[in-house]
Amino acid sequence: MRRWIYAGGRLALAVPVLFSIAVLNFFLIHLAPGDPASVMAGEGGSATPEYMAMLRHKFGLDQSLPLQLWHYVVNVATLDLGYSFRNDEPVLTLILDRLGPTLLLMGTAFVISVGAGILLGLLAGTGRNSWRDGASSILALLASATPSFWLGLMLIVLLSIRLGWLPTSGYETIGSFYEGRAYALDVGRHLIMPALSLALFYLALYTRVMRASVIEQMNMDYVVTARAKGQTELGIIFGHILRNALLPVVTMAGVQAGNLIGGSVIVESVFGWPGIGTLAFAALQGRDLNLLLGIFLVSACVVVAINLMVDLAYVALDPRMDM
Amino acid sequence: MFRRFNAPLRALFAAAAVAVLATAARAQEPQRGGTMVMIVQPEPATLASYMSVAGNVCPVACQVYEGLVSYDWDLKPVPKLATSWEVSPDGLTVTFHLRDGVTFHNGAKFTSADVQYSFMEVLKKVHPRAPVVLGDLSAIDTPDPMTAVFHFNHPAPYLMMALSGYDAPIVSKSAFENTDPAANPTANKPIGTGPFKFGAWERGQYVRLDRNPNYWQAGLPYLDHIVARFIPDASTRSAALETGEVQYAAYSSVNYSDVKRLQANPALDTTSKGYEMTSGLSEIEMNEHRPPFDKREVRQAIAYAIDRKFIIDNVQYGFGKPATGPLSSNFKPSGLYTDEVLRFDVPDRIAIANKLLDEAGLPRKADGMRFAATLEVNSFGQQWMRQAEYLKQALAAVGIDLTLRSEDTGAWLRRVYTNYDYDMSEPFFNNLADPVIGVQRQYVTSQIRKGVDFVNNTFYSNKEVDDLFAAGAQEVDPVKRADIYHRIQKILVTDSPVIWLSEVQYVTVFNRKLHDATTGPLGTYSAFERAWIEH
Repeated sequence: MRRWIYAGGRLALAVPVLFSIAVLNFFLIHLAPGDPASVMAGEGGSATPEYMAMLRHKFGLDQSLPLQLWHYVVNVATLDLGYSFRNDEPVLTLILDRLGPTLLLMGTAFVISVGAGILLGLLAGTGRNSWRDGASSILALLASATPSFWLGLMLIVLLSIRLGWLPTSGYETIGSFYEGRAYALDVGRHLIMPALSLALFYLALYTRVMRASVIEQMNMDYVVTARAKGQTELGIIFGHILRNALLPVVTMAGVQAGNLIGGSVIVESVFGWPGIGTLAFAALQGRDLNLLLGIFLVSACVVVAINLMVDLAYVALDPRMDM
Repeated sequence: MFRRFNAPLRALFAAAAVAVLATAARAQEPQRGGTMVMIVQPEPATLASYMSVAGNVCPVACQVYEGLVSYDWDLKPVPKLATSWEVSPDGLTVTFHLRDGVTFHNGAKFTSADVQYSFMEVLKKVHPRAPVVLGDLSAIDTPDPMTAVFHFNHPAPYLMMALSGYDAPIVSKSAFENTDPAANPTANKPIGTGPFKFGAWERGQYVRLDRNPNYWQAGLPYLDHIVARFIPDASTRSAALETGEVQYAAYSSVNYSDVKRLQANPALDTTSKGYEMTSGLSEIEMNEHRPPFDKREVRQAIAYAIDRKFIIDNVQYGFGKPATGPLSSNFKPSGLYTDEVLRFDVPDRIAIANKLLDEAGLPRKADGMRFAATLEVNSFGQQWMRQAEYLKQALAAVGIDLTLRSEDTGAWLRRVYTNYDYDMSEPFFNNLADPVIGVQRQYVTSQIRKGVDFVNNTFYSNKEVDDLFAAGAQEVDPVKRADIYHRIQKILVTDSPVIWLSEVQYVTVFNRKLHDATTGPLGTYSAFERAWIEH
C-alpha cells in the first residue's frame, strides 16, 4: 500500500516537471536561428516571397511568440502534440511509428549489455588479477574505445558483403510481405548487427561497475562469515555477493535507460534503422518545431517513468531500503 | 600526309563498329516483373511534388505523376499526356491535344478539366516556381475534353521546357476540388496517371510503389514494384549496392570517394547521363554591400586566384568540369551557351589577381595579407568543407585571409538569404531546363528579395542585364534569343557578381541487372516505365 502511495506521489510531482520541460524546450528551440519555411524553401532551391509567406502562415509562424507558446501549452495540456507540417502527419503518429523499432533495438541492446556486463564483471571481480580479470578488462577497454559507427561498418563488411549472412540495413525485407513467425525472424535478422554495435559500447560500462562492486563485496564481513560456516565459493557468490553487488549496476542501468527513448542517431543512421534518434535529427535539421517538441516531451515522460521503476527495483532487490 | 593517318583511322572505325555490334547483341528483350530498389537521399518530407521542388521528392513522385510532355536527349519536348501541340505565331496561345483513354489511379478519367485545374488552381497557387514560370499564364480554355488552350499575357517560350512530370505534374481534379491545395490529403499518397501507383510509406524506411495495371502504354511498366529506400549513412548505401540489396542510386547519393571502388565491382556500372536538365553549378557569392566586394577588381581577382581544375580533381574526385560563366555548357545544344567570355583560367592568373588587388587599393600588409573575410560553408555535405579548405589556401596566396564558418542548413540559409550577414558563401545552383527558370533569379534586380532562399543576395544590379533577361524571356526566335543570352554571359562574367567554379557532374550507380533506367535527360526525375530487371 505504502509503495503505491509513494508511486502516486511521484507521478503527481512529475506533472509540473513535465510542464516546465515543455515550456523550457519551447524557448530553447526558438533560440536556434532559421525556421521551417526557410529550410523547406531552401531544399527546393527556389521559392518566391508569396510561397514563403504562405508556408509561414500555414505553420503559424506569423503569430507572436507568446501567442505561439500559449497555443502550444493549451495543446499539450489536452495531450495534443500538434501537427508536423514538414511531414504532413500528426506528431503523435510520427513518434508512435518510430517508438516500436526504437524500443526493440534499444531494449535488445540493453538486455545484451546489462546481461553480458554483469557476467563479465562477475568473472573479473571474483578472480581478481587472474587471466579472467585481464581478459574481460581488455575486452571492456576495446569495446568502449571502438566508435560504434566504425564497428557497425566493419560488421557490415564482414557479415553482409564478405559472408552474405545478414542484410546490410533496414528493419525488414521490403516487398517480401512476410507474416507471423517469418516476419519476426526477418526483423530479427535485421536487428542483430545494430543491437550488437550498440550493446558493445554499453557493455564496457556495466562490466567495470560490476567488477568494482563485486571486489568490494568480496571483502565484506558477511562473506568471511559465510566462508567460516563452510559454504562453497559458488554458493557465496550466487547466494550473497551477486544480489548486493547488483545495486550499483541497477543505478547505472537506470540512468542509461533514459537514453533508450532518445535512440542512437549514429547506429540508426549506419543501419538505416527507423528509430526516434534519426527522426529527431531530421526534425532538428528541418527546424520541424512541433515534431521536435513532441519528441522531447515523450522522451521526458519516459525518463520520469524509468526513474520511478528504478526506485521500485531497489526495494525489490534490497528490502532494507526505505521509501 | 593524310593517307598515313588513314590506316589507323580505319582500324579505329572497325573497332568502333565491332563494339556497337557487340552492344546490340547483348541487348536483350525486356523481362516483366521484379522489384527495383533505389536509394533516395535524404528521406523526402512530403510527396507533394506540385508544391515542393526539393530534389528528393521527384524520384518518388515522378513515378506517379506525369506531365503534358517529356523530353528527348536533344532536350526537345515529346508527347506524354499531350499527343501534340501548336504554338500561335505571336506566342500568346498554345493549344494542347490530349491523350484519350488515360485514367488516374483513383479511377477518374483524364480530361482537359484536369489540365486546367492542375495549372490554374494548384500549380499557379502553390508551386514554388510558379510566379516565374507561370506568371504570364492568364487562362486555360477547354473547348472539348481532349483540348486545352493556354493563354499568355506575354510570349513564354521557356514554358515548353517546364512541362514534364517534374516541373508541372498533372493532378486529378476529382482529388483536389474543394480542398486547399496546400493541405491536400494526397500530399503523402499521390494520385496521378503514371506507370506506378503509390503503395505504402513506412517513415524512416521506404516508400513502395506498385505497378499500374491500367497504364496507358500497353505492356508497360515492366517492373512490379519500385521501392525507394532511405539509408542515412553513405557508407551503408555503398554496401547495400555491393550486396545487391539496392540496384540504383542517383544524384551522387554514394560518396564520390566510393565511386571508384564501386566501378571496379563487376556487378555494378555507373553513368553521368540523365542530368542534362538539372545542370548544377557550384559558385561563390559575394556580398556587394560589404567592402571590398563592391569593387569589380576584387571579385575578378578572386575568380583568377582559384584553380577550378584542382577543385574538380581533388574535391570532386574528377566528377565535374570547370564552369565558364552563369550558364552550364548543357545549354550548348540549344545554342544559348557561349564560352567566349572573359576567361580566368589563364597561365598568369595569380599575377593578374595580385595586380588587380593592388589596383583596388588593397596592398599587402606586414603579415602578407591584404584583407580578411569570412566564407559561409555550404551545409549540404562534407565535400563543401573540403572545397572551403582549398579556397582558404588559394586565396591566402593572393593575400586574402579567409575564415571558414560552418552552420547547419537552417542557420546558413537564414544568415545568407535573410539577414545578409555574410561576406562570401559557397552555394550550389541548378540552371534547370531554361535560363528563365534557373539562371536569372540570381542576377536581376527584382530578385533581390529578403527572406527568399537562392535568389539574388549579392545585391548585383545592372539595368542592362535586367533588360536583357526580360527580353530573353519573351523572345521566340531561337537565334535572337541565343544572342541575348550570349550578351548576358559576357557582361556577367566581366562583372563577376558571383564566381562560377564548376559544373557538377552527378553519378548514378546501378546494378548491371537493371536495364533502361536512364532513358532521357531528366533521368531520375522521370518515370521508370521502361526499366526492367534480369532474373
